[in-house]
Order: sequence, then structure tokens, then C-alpha cells
Amino acid sequence: MSPHVMDTGMLRKIVIHNYRLFRDFTLEFTPGMNILVGDNDTGKSTVLEAVNLALTGRVQNRLLAQDLSPYLFNLDITREYILAVQEGQGPEPPDMIVDLYLEQSAATAHLKGRNNSTDEDTYGLRFRAAYNPDFAVEYAAFIKEPDNIRVVPAEYYRCEWMGFDGNAVTARSIPVTVSVIDAAAIRLQSGADYYLQGIIGNNLTPTERVELTRAYRSLREEFARNPSITEINNKLKATPGDVSDRELSLGIDISQRASWESSLVPHLDDMPFTFVGKGEQSSLKILLALNRRVQDAHVVLVEEPENHLSFTRMNILIGKVLKKCEDRQVLVTTHSSYVLNKLGLKQLVLLTDTGGLRLSGLTPSTQDYFQKLPGYDTLRLILAQRAILVEGPSDELIVQRAYRDIHGALPIYEGVDVISTGLSFRRFLELAVQLQRRTTVVRDNDGSDPAEVAARYADFTVHNFISVRVGAAEGGNTLEPQLLAANGRAALNEIFGTSYVTDEDLVKHMTSNKTTCALAIFESETTITMPGYIRDAVA
Amino acid sequence: MPSPRQVAVIAAAGSRKTEFIVTEALAYPDRRVLLTTYTLNNLACIRERIYRKAGHIPAHVTIMSWYGFLSHHWCRPYQRAVLREPGVLRGIDFSSDLPRFVPEADARRYFCNRAWDLYKDRVADFAVKADAAAGGAAVRRLEELYDEVYIDEVQDLAYYDLDVLDRLLHSRMHLVVVGDPRQHTYATNQNSKNRQYRGARIVDWLSLRADVCAIEPRTVSYRCNQAICDFADALYPDLPTTTSANFEVVEPTGILMLSRDDLLGHIEACGPAVLRHNVRTNTLGLPAINFGSSKGSTFEHVVIFPTAPIRAYLRSGDPSGLAAEARSKLYVAVTRARHSVAFVV
Repeated sequence: MSPHVMDTGMLRKIVIHNYRLFRDFTLEFTPGMNILVGDNDTGKSTVLEAVNLALTGRVQNRLLAQDLSPYLFNLDITREYILAVQEGQGPEPPDMIVDLYLEQSAATAHLKGRNNSTDEDTYGLRFRAAYNPDFAVEYAAFIKEPDNIRVVPAEYYRCEWMGFDGNAVTARSIPVTVSVIDAAAIRLQSGADYYLQGIIGNNLTPTERVELTRAYRSLREEFARNPSITEINNKLKATPGDVSDRELSLGIDISQRASWESSLVPHLDDMPFTFVGKGEQSSLKILLALNRRVQDAHVVLVEEPENHLSFTRMNILIGKVLKKCEDRQVLVTTHSSYVLNKLGLKQLVLLTDTGGLRLSGLTPSTQDYFQKLPGYDTLRLILAQRAILVEGPSDELIVQRAYRDIHGALPIYEGVDVISTGLSFRRFLELAVQLQRRTTVVRDNDGSDPAEVAARYADFTVHNFISVRVGAAEGGNTLEPQLLAANGRAALNEIFGTSYVTDEDLVKHMTSNKTTCALAIFESETTITMPGYIRDAVA
Repeated sequence: MPSPRQVAVIAAAGSRKTEFIVTEALAYPDRRVLLTTYTLNNLACIRERIYRKAGHIPAHVTIMSWYGFLSHHWCRPYQRAVLREPGVLRGIDFSSDLPRFVPEADARRYFCNRAWDLYKDRVADFAVKADAAAGGAAVRRLEELYDEVYIDEVQDLAYYDLDVLDRLLHSRMHLVVVGDPRQHTYATNQNSKNRQYRGARIVDWLSLRADVCAIEPRTVSYRCNQAICDFADALYPDLPTTTSANFEVVEPTGILMLSRDDLLGHIEACGPAVLRHNVRTNTLGLPAINFGSSKGSTFEHVVIFPTAPIRAYLRSGDPSGLAAEARSKLYVAVTRARHSVAFVV
């Protein structure tokens, strides 16, 4: 057999039923990078967790089969089940399924079959927790007191881990290895980091691992033969049996359990790994995982790489991630729009309850645009329920104030984000179209006919979720004259603590102190009359 | 007409057929090979030979029992095509009787016990139905997994097993089946399908498929001397005769008739293995092996306690008086010996 040469995609699709946030969830993966983005509680980590579950049978490093928690079951299905029990409908206890679909290859051929959610004859792995009828008696007793039922009776469940071929999974039958990199979850075990051990272990070939184990064992055996140990044992032998009649001696544990993994501690510049800063640990772990031999079918799951990292270090790390991941499949979750922009918007997946949205429809130049904006908050548009796009910081403050005047709360509290985009409205609108995000553009007429300015966005406003509000011609070219026109010189002079006698001078003052004036208006106790286009925009 | 792609080797006892397939299977490490056989005894034999030759089971070789093969590669991947549910099948039920009065349409109860184990006698039936209902998907799946399939002791396949064999014969994989139709193990089976092809008649079944499968006789016995070969051949006059390649002469030699009075002297002289029909046979207190269990073994000398039909055959020389099973067992017993077979008469 020729060694299987890895292409950049091993995972094809995941289908999740009744697991955590997901009732019925399907997400297709692309080869290479997949960046999962979503608000908190949209299940970013759950997707990684489910992938890992299908590939290892483990959740948070514990075998799920031995440790099935009822809280892993989807809340809605749990509630429905309990309600149905209480109403005496005799429902079947719900099952929980993770189906991980794999690409066709020599290494996956044995996993082919139709034991999956979609009845496809294809390759993959299935983890399923389902009610075990062996517990029929216990279960019957359990449902006799329906009012005490709070959770799914996971203790009467059994876990099955099989290929789509319907045969139980064995260590040899898993064609994909996986590294989970979660910088936040650092667990210590016998002085060394569990994750790191795994990653180092994965970097070695089986032969190297056996060699290391053997070398370690002979080291221990040698230690046991050391004259000082022999001497101690002779002394112990001579000690009369106070405790027991048996002979007492000191030995070295050379069993499998006492392996090198638990005793060897990696050092960075001669410093034990666990004493190195968390940020360094985090980036090192990511790089170790990415450095695996290329011929392996290897999937890397990275949980929020921005955690514990300074901006500079993150920048270096992201660069390395990009370079190393050209030929392997990586799933990354992130909160950071910086990470997102750098890794590429095209690979972005916006998670929903039932699947993921992709932005592969963006034009290359727009992708390029977002990629080159280091600090720009692309994510804000992605995460907001509704976005209002404005030209600059002063517009942003005024729009926020207008929104609060009408709705009684700042927009951000209601999932509405006001974003300054400069003159790049079109880039953001392109993104908004992909996301089908309700978006409003607020802009000046800059001396042109407002209708003509609005018409420039006609290709976007064909979507009913996108609107463009332009300042009326009679209100003036920009925000400042518009505010003046709506409120009058006296009111504004009072707010700014100024005493300009001509409109012209006041506008000049406002224009040269844009942000200060906008902030004064934003914070003012006085009632403000907002120009019509702004009122429309925040309605 | 193109020459058939598949090969059936019809081998005589002692012709080193298991050695042959093990050698073939190990020969090409770039071919992915599946080796399977009906009985666990023989499976262990194959495994042991591979270890002896290669020191380990090479990665390109998979060894599976016939039931394991059916369950793992046919039934489970496409269980849904028959049972309408995925991932429900457990193991195989080797002990329960088949349920009576369950129509085939009730697939779940027809094929499985309450714990979702397949009834032993319906595994092959299920395998064929699953592949058929899934449009041949099981065979296509195997084609992705293996380049060659070797089946040892093919004469043990019967009933629906032969339908599975048929599908393999017509697959893109290279199939080599090896067997001795004379050494059939008569396992109890409650099927009637393909009944007429049991045991020695497997050759007829294979002959009907001559377009895809060439039959190659393997008629040299490295174990039995010519006298023993001739005696054994006479039991199956329709099959090719056997030539001995055992030229060693160790006394006693050939086929002997032994009176009870001479028995102890004979045993002292050459230390033969004592073979019997079953535990009820009176072997005068001598430790003995049943005919059936002796399959696969080699002894220098053999003593046989004949049954009444065997005694009749020894007198008449007409094998038609022996039932198929009795004849097969006698053939096995006789061909265990390298030098001599003594009947206690």
C-alpha cells in the first residue's frame, strides 16, 4: 500500500442532532481553512467539540461513553420530551447523534455505508447516544414519577461509536487524527500539560514512540539496578516484618501506565513548559499541532487563538498559521475580527441554529479590502442583528443619540451596531448582502441631488433589508449644516457653550471640531431635533 | 472468449492448499488482500501460518471468518436497506432456533432476535438481500477496500453463502477460492436454498460459472503415499485422481485390515493416531479423535474404528452405499495418514 497522501480536506460535512445548542444542524466544510464565527452561544465551540467527539469519542478529554451527561442534550428536545412524559404520551427518549462525513480516500474506504442521518452511501463516523432497552425495568420506574423528571435519563443510555459501515470504531479504523488547541483550557497532569503531551505524542511516528518508550523503560530499569537502590532493598529485607510477613522492597513501576508522557516535561529555553507564560504556551501548542507530518490526514481544531496573546504575538502566529495550513484542514473559532480578516473572509462561516452561512460570494477586491484593514470591525457587521453604516465618528455619535431618543436605549443594547466605514459603504454592503443583514446607510449629500446619491446604491437597495438615507438638499451638504438647520443657532450655541452670531461661523466651528461637537450633542440634556434622514435611519 | 478472471482450486487432501493461498496472499504487498474461511479452526490455522512465514500479519492482509466477513462487510454497512433503520445490528446469534411463522416481510423479526443479533442461518440471506436492495453497494464497497479475496475451504459454503460467492465471482476483485469438495463439514443449517450444491457438488456449481471462474485441480498430495491416495480417490470416482509426492517408505505402509488381537501390537509398533466416528464408538478404551475433528491434522499412522456402513464399504468397494456425510468423514480420516491406515475389523 502506498502511504495515503493527504489532500487539504478530510472532513466533508457534519450533521448534529440534539447535541447542546443544535437540534438539527448541518455544516459543510471546505478544504483548508474554515473560520467559524458567531455571537456567544451560537455554538462555535460546540461544532469543534462535535468534530472531536466523532473522531475521538471524547468530550473535554473524557470518553463520552463513560461520562454521558444529560446536560449535553439539546434543551428544547429535553423540554419536549419531559412535557410529553408528563402528558402521558409515552415518548421515546431522544437520541443524540453526531455524524461526521469524510472525503473518499483509501484511508476512509472501510467507513463506507449508509448508517448516517441522510441515508447517503458514503464515508464517515457516527457517535450516537440512545436509550438502551436493557434498562426497560428501570426506565419504567423512572417515568412513573413524571413530575420529578428534570433531564433526559442519560443513565439508561448507551453510546455507540461506529463508522457509516455500521461497525464499531477501533483505534486503527479512524483515518483522521485531530489536534484540539484550546489555549484557555490548560489542564495539568503530573506536571506536564495534557494537551501538549498529546501533541508531542502525535508528532512522533509509531516507531519513534516505541523507541522512546523503550529507552524510558530501560532508564527506569537501570535506576532500579543502581547500587543504592539495591542497598536500600537489602536494608528493608533485614527489617523484621512489623506490618506484614511479606517481604518489602522498593521497585520502579515499569508498566504501560508509567510512561514517558507523564514524566517528561518539555522545556522552552531550559524553562519547564508550565512555567512559561500562557501566551507563549498557547502559540507553541498551535505551532506544534500545525507542524505535523504532511502525509498525515490531520485536522486541527483551534479555539479562539486570540486568547492569551498580545497583539504582536498574535500577528506573528496568524502569519504562521496561514503558512502551515496551506495543505491541511483547519477549523478555527474566533471572536477577533483581526484574526478573521487575516485568515480570509472567504473561509468564514457564520453559524446559525441549523447550519452555516459562507461569504464566498464576495468579490475578490472586497475580500482583499477587508483583509488589509487590520483593526477594522468586520465582525461587528457579522454579529449585529442590524447595522447602521455612517461616514465617521461624529455621524456615529449623532446616530446613536437619535436612536436612543426614539427607542429609549442605545442601539448596541438592542443588537444594532452603528459602524463608521469612511467612504467604503459599498464594501460593507457587499458583506451585508451575503449575510442578508438589515443594514442602513446614513450619508451626506455632499452637494449633489440626494436622489442621485441614493441611486448610486441601487444595486444594493434592491434587497429589502438594505436602505440608504441621504441628507435633504435644503438641510445642507454635510451633517453639521443639517443639525443647524434642524435645531437653530441658539439651541446649538447653548449646547456647545458658544455664542456665534452667524450660522456660517457656527458651522465653521462645528466642522473644525466635529467630534467634540458631536459628543456634546450626544451628551446634552436638551431635546435635540434630528434631521429627517437620520430620524428615518434609526426608525 | 476471454479467459475467466477468477480461480477455483479444487485440491486433494495433503496438497498444501492452505499453504498455497497464504503464500499467494503474502506475495504482493501492494495488493490489498482479504482471507476468509468458514471454520474458526481453519482461520486459526491460516493465522498461524502467516505468523510463521511473515512474523506478523502484514498491513495489506486482512483475515476474517466467513461470518465476520458477511456481518462486517455486507450486513452492517447496508442494514438499512433491509431493516429501514441505521446502526441497529449487534452480533450474530449462533444458538437460537429460527423463529417459526415469521414472514420474510417482517424483516426485523425474520432476521434478528430481540437483541438485534442476526440468526446464524440467516446471515448470508441478509447479506445478499442488503447488497441487492442497496443496488450492489456492498460489492462496490468491497471493491474499494480489497484487490483480492481468498476463500479457503470453499466446500463449506452452502445455501445463501453461494449467492454471496456468486456476487464476488462477478465483482472487479480478483477471487481465488480453494477447497476440497471431499472434505465438507456438515454443519446443521435450516436453509433449503442451493441445497443441491452441498459438499462435493460445489464443483458442479462452479462448473456452471466456467465463464468467470476457471477450475484448477491440485492433485498432488505431499502427505499421503500412493496407496492411501488411491484408497481415498476411490471414494469419489468422479473427481480427478491424486498423485502422491510422499516417496518416503515407513513401515507399516498402505491400507491394512487389523484384527482386534493384533491391535495392541500395532499400536506399540508405530504409535498411530486412533480415529473414531463419534464418542459413542467403542474404541476398546483407547483415547481417540473424532473423524470431524481430525480435519487439518497430519499423522504418520492412523487406526480407524469403522462404522457399520464403512465395514460394508470395505467389503463391497462400492461407495454409493455411503451417505454423503459418512463418505466425506471417511475421506478426511483416511487422508490424515502419511504412511498407513489400519481399519480395526
